Amino acid sequence: MDHQQSKPLIELSQVTKSYPVASGSFSALKNITLKIDSRQLISITGKSGSGKSTLLNLITGIDRPTEGSVIINGVRVDKLSEFELASWRGKNVGVVFQFFQLLPTLTILENVMLPMDFCNTYPKKDRRERALALLQMVGIGEQAEKFPSTLSGGQQQRVAIARALANDPPLIVADEPTGNLDSQTATAIFELFAKLATSGKTVVVVTHEREFSSYFESTINIADGVIVKAAAVQV
Amino acid sequence: MKPRYRKVIRDLTSSYSKNLMLALAIAVGVFGIGSILGAYKVINREMAVNYLSTEPASATIEFEGRISNGLLDSIRSFPGIKKAERRATITARMKVDERWYPILLFVIDDFSKMEISKFLPVSGSQNPDHQSMLVERSALPVMHAQEGDQITIRTPHGQAQRVKIVGQVHDPGLAPAWQEQAGYAYISLEALHRLGEKQNFDLLRLQVSDNEYSASEITKKAELVADLLKTKGITVHEIQVPPPGKHPHQSQMNAVLTIFTVFCFMILMLGSILVATSMATLMVKQIRQIGVMKTIGGNSYQIASLYFLMLLVICVIALTVSIPLSRLAAYGFYTQIAVLLNLEITDTSIPWSVPLIQILSGITVPMIAAAFPLVRGSRISVRAALDNYGVSATSNTASFLSRLPIINAFNDTFRLALRNAFRQRARLALTLGLLAAGGAMFMTALNVSEAWDKNLKRIYVQRLYDQEIKLNDRINQDSILGRIKSLEGVTTVEGWDYSSTSVVKESKYEVTRTYPDKGHGSFSILALPVNTKLLNPTITEGRWLYAEGTNEVVLNQLARTSEMKIGDQIYLSLEDKPTTWKIIGFTEDVGSSAAAYISIRSFEKLNGSVNHIKMIRIGYADRSKDYAWNKNREVDRVLEELNVRVSSSTPVWLLHNAVAAHMKVLVNSLLAMAILMAVVGTLGLTSTISMNVLERTREIGVMRAIGATPKKIRSLIILEGLTIGILSIVLAFIISLGLSYFMGEFIGRISFRTPLTLTISIVAIVIWIMIVTIGSYLASILPAKRANVITTREALSYE
Repeated sequence: MDHQQSKPLIELSQVTKSYPVASGSFSALKNITLKIDSRQLISITGKSGSGKSTLLNLITGIDRPTEGSVIINGVRVDKLSEFELASWRGKNVGVVFQFFQLLPTLTILENVMLPMDFCNTYPKKDRRERALALLQMVGIGEQAEKFPSTLSGGQQQRVAIARALANDPPLIVADEPTGNLDSQTATAIFELFAKLATSGKTVVVVTHEREFSSYFESTINIADGVIVKAAAVQV
Repeated sequence: MKPRYRKVIRDLTSSYSKNLMLALAIAVGVFGIGSILGAYKVINREMAVNYLSTEPASATIEFEGRISNGLLDSIRSFPGIKKAERRATITARMKVDERWYPILLFVIDDFSKMEISKFLPVSGSQNPDHQSMLVERSALPVMHAQEGDQITIRTPHGQAQRVKIVGQVHDPGLAPAWQEQAGYAYISLEALHRLGEKQNFDLLRLQVSDNEYSASEITKKAELVADLLKTKGITVHEIQVPPPGKHPHQSQMNAVLTIFTVFCFMILMLGSILVATSMATLMVKQIRQIGVMKTIGGNSYQIASLYFLMLLVICVIALTVSIPLSRLAAYGFYTQIAVLLNLEITDTSIPWSVPLIQILSGITVPMIAAAFPLVRGSRISVRAALDNYGVSATSNTASFLSRLPIINAFNDTFRLALRNAFRQRARLALTLGLLAAGGAMFMTALNVSEAWDKNLKRIYVQRLYDQEIKLNDRINQDSILGRIKSLEGVTTVEGWDYSSTSVVKESKYEVTRTYPDKGHGSFSILALPVNTKLLNPTITEGRWLYAEGTNEVVLNQLARTSEMKIGDQIYLSLEDKPTTWKIIGFTEDVGSSAAAYISIRSFEKLNGSVNHIKMIRIGYADRSKDYAWNKNREVDRVLEELNVRVSSSTPVWLLHNAVAAHMKVLVNSLLAMAILMAVVGTLGLTSTISMNVLERTREIGVMRAIGATPKKIRSLIILEGLTIGILSIVLAFIISLGLSYFMGEFIGRISFRTPLTLTISIVAIVIWIMIVTIGSYLASILPAKRANVITTREALSYE
């Protein structure tokens, strides 16, 4: 893969993230520089507390760096206001959580339609059809009118992926998406991610599970807030 | 429908019991506002309509002499005078069930041509002859009579005679007869003569043609008419100018209903605080959902609008229920007040402004109250929202509490419950505020009610006599006081005197604010032996009379004006002559009209009637009503034997009952409001406890995982509720003291022109402690059950 040819989708430059603690300040990430190109399935690994979730939060604009800059798809994310970030995130990043985080009082279909509603991205009449198509794509189209609580964990995670794709964002990030699933279901989820990367999405996944490393084109390993090993990404 | 709106609907319906409780909290306030304001608007309108429909006299001139038809016509064509009529009002007595009661006889010139101070026909003939009379509808129950019955009436100078009731009328200008414990009848001059009175008309009722709402302009015109009367040789005793266009009870009613409306707005505000706390908790509960919605593209405005919409739906439900119910309650309330004020409600429509105010207040007040938690919750950053794991660690206050030595005397469960109660300080403050305000209003209502009763009892404390007899003419007291004193059971008899009076200003005439019923707005001089044993005046300033024959005067609070002070000179008219007095004291009388107390020797000196009296006051050995009844009959017999003519005879218990009847409905309404407050307060506590428990579901799971038994968890939650409840009682008591003082001052001033004594009702405190304790227990038991029903695994995984 020739990553020099295109502009990186994710570009972190000398990023430090510190949190105030009782004893002063704790740096979760230390002077990180990172570039990730589009159309990749990348994993971020590391021990608990190493800083991998913080890195993911910076990429999604959920958190802001203490120092340095975060540019995603050409946008200086760390400079956006909370209001601008919400809209930007809705259109540019699809987030998949470990505990799925589907809204319990909405049906599966409505959960997938919600990002389109918030971001006003597709014509109102097309949203239902698109949501159904996405649910079909992740393999649970027939469950569309059910509520999340009636589905298994794996099914809920598929819905979460469909929801992440609702606004057709170039970037999908997932924080330990299979941490709560059995290995068979987890495999299915990783296959789905791989399919998404093939179809042109950049998928960044935080995971502990080494048995799925074969799915990833690149892996960023973090320890104590520093990238200790990065394969096929520019550090 | 957009998915976000579906979420609103489903969130509302998924916890419908809680949301219904919020709707109920708002509904209670909106209901109160609608019922009070609705009644207020109807009564205010109908009071004016009723009163003005009687064509009330702008002024009444009390005269002595004869106004001929020709002179009456000249007065009618006098500049600025629209209408004029001759009248007379006699206080007589009527016999009901072998007992004598006062009756006011209104003498009408021509029943078919009444133009001023009219009354409205109800039934029967409206043109009584010389042997019959019309009766005000509210007087029939007092007279224990019906149309067609004959009533025995005795006028001051006549013999008892039977007069037939031929028709009923409604006179909205009069307080209901049952309230005054008197009869009201309308007779012709011929009928009056038949009853033994020789007097002619002695009142000239006038209605002015312009500036009809200016008391000073009315007075000027009445004085010009009085001048005309004087030139015709007619003596003018007094000019009465009651507040123009105002029903005798209008200002009091307006004031009371205003304060009730304020109370209802307070209930709504408290309900809204409950809504705010509930919405704040909802935001905490949904914090992760907010984080997720923000992650998938929802901005703060969109998210805030979802929760505002949810609140709006709750408000609309509250309004939908409360507005129709409040209209029914308003109907009940204004019907009661109409009875109290002797009004006929001609138009029952409640103005559109009332539901509009309900809608506006029922939506805006909760919205404003909930705005802070909703906006703050919606603006939370995604990271803060996603990292939220429920309630935070022990607060500083809780840590402080736990360090107090006394706390350590309690067991672990209590200490933990106490700390838990203080963990969400803002919510605790709101809940305490809500419960304390509810409790304070509850206690205030009962305190004021008790203070009212206590004040009424002062009627007996101040009046050591049991019967007051007013005589027609001044008589030598030596001949009668001894006879009455010799009756068994009579402990004290005193001869007093009295005269109507007014403060003489620059006016040529005595001008009073007296209403045609001769009671409202009247001012009398009471002449009494200075060493009286039958009066126990409450001196508020200066001193009581101690020397006979001086020019000293003591005024009660109704006679006092703001500029009067001890040592001032005051000019009072006495039998049409100005007299000079020195103010030496002020009293606070309960249940009296305006009075100036002077020594009887001074009075004798001024009118030259030495040893003559016009009033007898008698004290009995037993102050009970039945005893007074029997003794009064004996006294009546003595007076009859001595041929002493009685103008009126009023037992003190009758006065007590009449004053009590004036405000009974209003004090009861205050109690009804207290119950509403108790409801809102308990709802607030239920809400807080259940939310406190909900937030700590995960924590409870941890406690159970490390061995806490369901019993332990239940007692922990119940103790937490009781802790909040008990704290609120202390606060409620403190607030109620200030509120009771204010309400007592207000109600006392409008009814007695003197504040009610601050009274602390032990019953109120005990009832409130019971309500809060039981309420706290019930409010805690449900969340406690829920906490124990959920499995440890579910609790630990709760987000």
